[in-house]
Amino acid sequence: MKRITLLIIVSISILFVSVFIGPKFINPFNLDDTGRQIIFSIRLPRVLVSILMGSALGASGAVLQGLLRNPLADPYILGISSGATLMAAFGLLFGKIIFGLFSIPLLAFIGAIFTGIAVGVMGYKRGGLLPERLLLAGIGIGFLFSSILMLVMSISADEGLKRAMLWMFGDLSMADWLLIPYGFAFIFAGLLLSLWRVKGLNALILGDEIAHSLGFSPVKERLILFISVGLMTASSVSLGGIVGFIGLLIPHIVRYFVGSDCRFLLPLSALAGGTLLCMADTIGRTIMSPTEIPAGIITAIIGAPYFLYLLRKREIMGV
Amino acid sequence: MEHLIFLKGNYKSLFYYFSLCSLWLIIFSSLSGTAFSATPERIVSLAPSVTEILYAIGLEDKIVAVTNFCDYPPQAKEKPKIGGMSNPSLEAVVSSKPDIVVMTTDGNPKEFEDRLKQLGIKTYVFKSRQLAELPEGIRELGMSLGAKEKAYKLAEEIETKLQKSEVRGTHPVDGSQKSEVKGKALFIVWPEPLIVAGPGTAIDDALQLLGWENIASDTGIKYPKYSIEEVILRSPDVILIGKSMGVDTKENSKGLLKKLDMLEAVKKGRVFYTGDTLYRLGPRIIEGIDEMAGYLNRSQKSEARSQK
Repeated sequence: MKRITLLIIVSISILFVSVFIGPKFINPFNLDDTGRQIIFSIRLPRVLVSILMGSALGASGAVLQGLLRNPLADPYILGISSGATLMAAFGLLFGKIIFGLFSIPLLAFIGAIFTGIAVGVMGYKRGGLLPERLLLAGIGIGFLFSSILMLVMSISADEGLKRAMLWMFGDLSMADWLLIPYGFAFIFAGLLLSLWRVKGLNALILGDEIAHSLGFSPVKERLILFISVGLMTASSVSLGGIVGFIGLLIPHIVRYFVGSDCRFLLPLSALAGGTLLCMADTIGRTIMSPTEIPAGIITAIIGAPYFLYLLRKREIMGV
Repeated sequence: MEHLIFLKGNYKSLFYYFSLCSLWLIIFSSLSGTAFSATPERIVSLAPSVTEILYAIGLEDKIVAVTNFCDYPPQAKEKPKIGGMSNPSLEAVVSSKPDIVVMTTDGNPKEFEDRLKQLGIKTYVFKSRQLAELPEGIRELGMSLGAKEKAYKLAEEIETKLQKSEVRGTHPVDGSQKSEVKGKALFIVWPEPLIVAGPGTAIDDALQLLGWENIASDTGIKYPKYSIEEVILRSPDVILIGKSMGVDTKENSKGLLKKLDMLEAVKKGRVFYTGDTLYRLGPRIIEGIDEMAGYLNRSQKSEARSQK
């Protein structure tokens, strides 16, 4: 319990402090007009988006690794991110006029949800979602969509499209208040859904037969958990594109501290994911200022060595 | 062969003999590469800026292929295509049977030049990357391609333009003296995520030439991903937004301008949408500078008016 309290305290203080750190340190007790503008219309939405995205990725990574019984699973393995990227690219190609300012995030969300459904349909056999089928369907659909995206990009002479695709590599600088309520609603719903079935997830990790004898229906549990992952991943991709590392490795890091019990693993992966992304974005906007470094690069640079250190020191998911 | 017999047994002289031969070969081949070669009749251009220059110095009939991005002058679109700038098709270039392939150091891969050389295809590398280097670059290119007269004329036109702008501005072309600055400007290349024109671009050169400070000139990167916070802190007097192909620039920049709405430049309407002529270091740079100068002057006038 001590460890968990410590993790929570450290996380919250990082999240709080990061609002004031950036190209210019802003003193919260001595705010001028510019400082207020920067904090309220740029940094705060950015920090909130990074927390939302990071926690969605951390939690859905933890759920998926249990659901698919695979330590290599991460939210992007289901092809949801490629579907989102593809739709966003089409949105850029055929103009933003359709839905106005938020057409790109909206299109990305639609693409992600449809891909999620497609993967679900492909992974459905013998009256339920089968982990191996889900994985393979996700990988297949992901490859299909990313190759279509490559095709579109290599035949279009449009430089703008290529620049805009930078958005897909974890750009949080355009975070906007207007998107945050929707992002929050979907991610929170997904998180609650998975926490509601967290005992089922614990049982699923032990195997379908044991889950069954414990009184859980593997078919039903898996479907609900899959929907929760789809919701969280889709919202996270449409908020700020693709950020690697968090979904794959944060659950493993958290597992070292709290063990495999998903009742702790899930919420703490969400917290740690949000904290890491927020920290990475703070570093990315600060160290090379005025040039910005995408947060996705920083997450891996600070996270991967730590993960490797833990890997060397201890066991991981029994291996 | 008699002279060889004369050298028989004297390996040292033999060595000198071969050295002389090879030296002669080197000199001959390098000379034949430049001065003695016939003017090329079939030219492939590997960059939109080069294509524009070739058209401007009257070589349009000799161009046999261009890149997919070569869209100016409009006739250039009709020419056969060899692919993109960073990934041109070697086969397409070879099958267009060029006498010479003109490429740049700014966007074409060096490996491609090596491959062409291996295949015995002559290349010309256009090395100018900054505004001040453009006239000299055009002269050299014109010399090598047998269009000296028109190239010199074009180079002179550009030089005159640069000098005239320099009089209107306060900075000399090479940016040596730091004198009075008219104001701070920011040139946005792409709004989401924010990418701006940094140092080493023709846009940065043009701003300096006209006596304005580019707030992104300290980034060290040509097209940096720039911090929105920093834009607010540095508060540019003018914001120029460059056109992007196939995208509604105004629509595209709404979100960014909303974030910057407390800036004087945005409040007082000193945000201008400009063409894309300054993205290419070619003949249209003259128009680009004129257009930019027009917007900058307009903003200065509006500022003067608001101060009264």
